[in-house]
Amino acid sequence: MEKGYDFKTNEKLKEYPVRLPCFEGPLDLLFYLIKKNQIEIYDIPISLVAQQYLEYLELMRVLDLEIAGEFLVLAATLLRIKAKMLLPPTEDEEEIEEDPCAELVEALFDYQKYKKTADFLREKETEESLFYPRSFPPYLEGSEEMEDKSKKVSLYDLLEAFKKVLAKATEEPTHIITVLKITIEQRINYILSFLDNKKKVSFTDLFMDNPKRLVMIVTFIAILELIRLNKIKVLQRKKFSEIWVYAKHSSNKKDKP
Amino acid sequence: MNNNYHGMVEAVLFASGSPLSLGKISSVLKELNPSQIKNIIEDLNQKYRRENHSFTIRKIASGYQMFTLPEYAELISKILVDRGFYRLSVQALEASAIIAYHQPVTKAKIEKIRGVNSEGVLTTLLERDLICVKGRGESVGRPFLYGTTKKFLSYFGLSSLEQLPKIEELEAFLKGKEDLKSPKEEIPVVEKKISEIGDNV
Repeated sequence: MEKGYDFKTNEKLKEYPVRLPCFEGPLDLLFYLIKKNQIEIYDIPISLVAQQYLEYLELMRVLDLEIAGEFLVLAATLLRIKAKMLLPPTEDEEEIEEDPCAELVEALFDYQKYKKTADFLREKETEESLFYPRSFPPYLEGSEEMEDKSKKVSLYDLLEAFKKVLAKATEEPTHIITVLKITIEQRINYILSFLDNKKKVSFTDLFMDNPKRLVMIVTFIAILELIRLNKIKVLQRKKFSEIWVYAKHSSNKKDKP
Repeated sequence: MNNNYHGMVEAVLFASGSPLSLGKISSVLKELNPSQIKNIIEDLNQKYRRENHSFTIRKIASGYQMFTLPEYAELISKILVDRGFYRLSVQALEASAIIAYHQPVTKAKIEKIRGVNSEGVLTTLLERDLICVKGRGESVGRPFLYGTTKKFLSYFGLSSLEQLPKIEELEAFLKGKEDLKSPKEEIPVVEKKISEIGDNV
């Protein structure tokens, strides 16, 4: 591509805002170009569209926007189609080969269908947002609702909560060496046994059976491990409030629509 | 005593914080069968309309629940400030649409249709419980198969997936050419000052 105009040397232009539509993906951009040019998807003037498509990508590059790989794949496809159309078809190709655009047209057509449905869903979403359900004052600590509305807890929130719990640890004299036979597996089972009986348990409660530093630390590692294994989830109503630990249903669980 | 039954159905719906199915109501109101309860709910709704009440009983995916009418939404929103209602992105809506029609469906298929990576969008939909993993596919790597949940229906106010536009209707509509020629929807725009532009020029 030829070298663009050097905007940066022109002082006047420096603060001039450049506006560029953002597209979700290559098909979205292609669809936009087709609409902009008021053409039919069954009859795409490939060289015009390919040119505009590349111009857009170039603009993205100039603006330092990240260009997702998918955009380049479609650019290559467009150029391939264009090249194919320029070349005279070989004898046997003439019969077998259909419109090189066909695949692209089909993809576009398909994509449009779901775009339409997405519009439909957006309308329904808006309609639905205007209905307020009769419900209990939501978000009572520990209520069913809370599980739905709570935010995900980050590792830092967990560490913060652990720090508080750890402060309650009973200090042992440092010179006595007692071998504490406590393993992560034991603590994992301990946590899971908690959740067998109850749906949820507070983060703090998990440490209270044996408030020794070492046990607490092993318990904490066990919690992290369970999160990694997707066996539990941790939720919190708001920052610094109690963190609740829930058993996580296996992700293969069937959920009928 | 007939009126009393109306009162009873109304009472359980009023008191319940979550949707109740006809079966559930009839399990506590044994004198009535589900279809009688359904009739009573219709009666109640007619009465609410007639008397200009501000609410109605609606059937959503998992049952019946009382809702205020849309015309009061603006007012209510001033009281219930954070309702935890966050609109989905266009991307998420597109992926939802694809999953709704093709479930159970793999991520690869969704990405093929959208022509773009859909990992993040799927995570959002999973987190919001609008889709779930329904199983694993037979192909290489046994990919997860995604499908829609009950919450999906209630989120969009649908009582079943049947209420989505039919694929054939969409195709017929799109083939009918109308509408395609008017770029009416707004496309979000990125704005950059020339001075912010990197050295790529």
